[in-house]
Order: sequence, then structure tokens, then C-alpha cells
Amino acid sequence: MKPIWRDSFLLSGLLFAGLAFMGDTWAHHSFAMFDRNKEVTIKGTVKHFNYTNPHSWLDILVTDDKGQVKEWSFEMEGPSSLMRSGIKPGSLKPGEKITVKAWPLRDGRPAGAAINIIKEDGTVLDPRKGLRPPTS
Amino acid sequence: MTDRKCVVWSFVGLAALAWGSATAAPPAMTWDKLPDWSGLWTMEGRIIFDNSGKDPHRQFPPLKPEYEAKYAKVVQDAINGKEFDPLTHCLPAGFPRVLAEPFLQEFVLRPEQVWWIHEQQNEIRRIYTDGRPHPPADELYPLWEGHSIGHWEGDTLVVDTISLREGIYDRTGAIHSDKAHVTERIRKIDANTIEDRIVVEDPVTLTKPWHVTKRYKKLSDPSLRIDHWACEEDNRAVFKNGTTDIVLPSDQGKKR
Repeated sequence: MKPIWRDSFLLSGLLFAGLAFMGDTWAHHSFAMFDRNKEVTIKGTVKHFNYTNPHSWLDILVTDDKGQVKEWSFEMEGPSSLMRSGIKPGSLKPGEKITVKAWPLRDGRPAGAAINIIKEDGTVLDPRKGLRPPTS
Repeated sequence: MTDRKCVVWSFVGLAALAWGSATAAPPAMTWDKLPDWSGLWTMEGRIIFDNSGKDPHRQFPPLKPEYEAKYAKVVQDAINGKEFDPLTHCLPAGFPRVLAEPFLQEFVLRPEQVWWIHEQQNEIRRIYTDGRPHPPADELYPLWEGHSIGHWEGDTLVVDTISLREGIYDRTGAIHSDKAHVTERIRKIDANTIEDRIVVEDPVTLTKPWHVTKRYKKLSDPSLRIDHWACEEDNRAVFKNGTTDIVLPSDQGKKR
């Protein structure tokens, strides 16, 4: 029995879109909750950088125009990949001002998967750089 | 000795010889003959069990119709944004899925055992090469890595694995049963490549054996190392409403 999508050009297109993550994302979980078609840029102050498995989390405090403070959380790779990306436990210190570019959660809660982090001096941290270390 | 006795003993001797050659273990490996698989390695290709298909986002194990239908549903759910992977709960990838997992790996070769160590969740495959058989049938129970015995044919490690858990080959969700039987021929094909030729036989899910080849490349930076990976220390991913979700520190009823 052939599965239906093998015969359908339209469905293979959908399959490509749907499974692109399965093949490309090196996370310990599915990326279904993040919207990879959307990017947000959030400025804030580091509250805590959790250098942990299976994923590291960067929690930041964001103050809006009215002075209201809201906490945003950004998922990053686990310690092994972050270390190979040059992002160390002390790379993001509490109180430090940063800008995070991320794929946001689909449900609108203040969180996302970090694409990169820009420090105040302009240094860009790429958390995915170390996922595939160079091979010979 | 009478002629008759002589004939009988000759038969006994021949039978013993025949039995001996049929059950003789392959020559034992010695330290000086072990190949050099030192260094750190990582999988080549995508995080998919079989990269050989034309569709880079889908693989084609020879599944029986009912398992093809189950696979189709998982794929359709993924298209609809409903995805879940047991790794989310910090469960091991298990064998044979671990063959298709990324991150770093290393091989520790001893004459009597081979350890294939994965960075992800510290998974270790133990392959016994000391000539022991699999445990007797009444001692087998489903294991994440199964039970692996092997022997060396020159520089090729031949591995036989049984006693697996039902599981998936990778995140695309194709299923194998706990009756899966996996044989592998693993060898270093050049200074920087280890190749694993895999044959999966599964009377429950497959119509015929599935042949898959995977390759692992040597990392160019020898200073890298594998650290312990404690998956439950800060796992914010959960299964909710049929898909994967995240618990945030600000959520009510948060996990931590």
C-alpha cells in the first residue's frame, strides 16, 4: 500500500514544510511550539542564564513604555553545544543589557527559541554555531 | 582395540571435531590487532535513520501496511503542528535510533568489549566480543540498547543485537517492534570515516530486511571533550494537548 502523500505533489510540499524541522533541528524535543516563520527582537536585561541540560535558558527582564516589567525566556542549546559555540557560563551576566532575536512561541507567551544574542558592545552570540563541530 | 571399537571411537572423534568446528568461536581479538578508532566522531547527514532516499525529509523502510498507516498519521500530525518525541521526557534515544542521533560520539575498543559512547544523554552501547552468546530466551527483556554481541572479521566489527524495546527510528516516527533484530558491519573506511552497514529485520513491522548505511566523521579538533549530560536537570519541555509545549518560569503550576 502506498501512502497517499507519495502520489500527491501538493502533499509532498506540505510534507517538506512539516518535516523540515524534524530533520534540521538538533533539539531534544520537537520544535512544534515555536513559530519558525516569525522572528521577534526583544531588548532587555539578563535576569539569569541557566547553563543547563537538555537546553539552556536565558531569562531576561523587559521594561515596556509604561515602565511595566515582563520576564521573557529564551531557549538555547545545551551546555555542550553552547561551549562549542563559544558561549560560556559567564558569557551572559545578570544585569547585562542585551538584544535577543528569536522564533517566538506560537501561543503568544513571552518566550522563544534564541536565534542570536547581541551584547551591548555589538558582539553577536550564535548559539547554533557549535551544533556540528568541524570534521576532518 | 577391536576393529569395531576403533570404528566407534573414530566416529566419536569425527563427531567431536565436527561439533567443535561448528561451534568454534572466531579467533579472539588481541590488543595489538585492534584498529585505531580513537578520537571524537559525529554523524554524517541529516537526523534521519536512512539518508539514502530521494526525499530528504522522509524515509522508506519496507513497512507493512498497518505500520505504514501509523507512520502516515505521525507525519500528518507533524504537518498539522502536532509533534512529540519521547526524547522530550529525557528518555534515551535507544538502539537503533541512537545511530541516527547527532552530537559527539566515541568508541572505546578492548579485545573483549566495545563501548560506543554518545554525548546525548550519556548513552552507551556495550558490544561483547568475548565470544559469549546472547542471554537465554527466558532472561531477555526489552532494553533501550538491546543486547549486543560481536566479533571481529579483520578490521570489521560484526555486531548482532536483539532484545530491543519497541521504538522509533528517528523523529520522523517510523516504528520498529521489540522483535527487531539488527546486524551491523562497522569498519573504518578511511582515516576520518567510520561506516556502519546496518540490516534491520523485524517480523512485526517490516516486509523484508531494511538495509541502511550510516557514516560518522572524525572531528578535526582533538581538544573537544564529552561532558556528562543530565537531561532532567532543567527540562522545561512537556507534552500538552497532543503536542510538545514549554513550561515557563512565569507560568502558574510551573514544573520548577
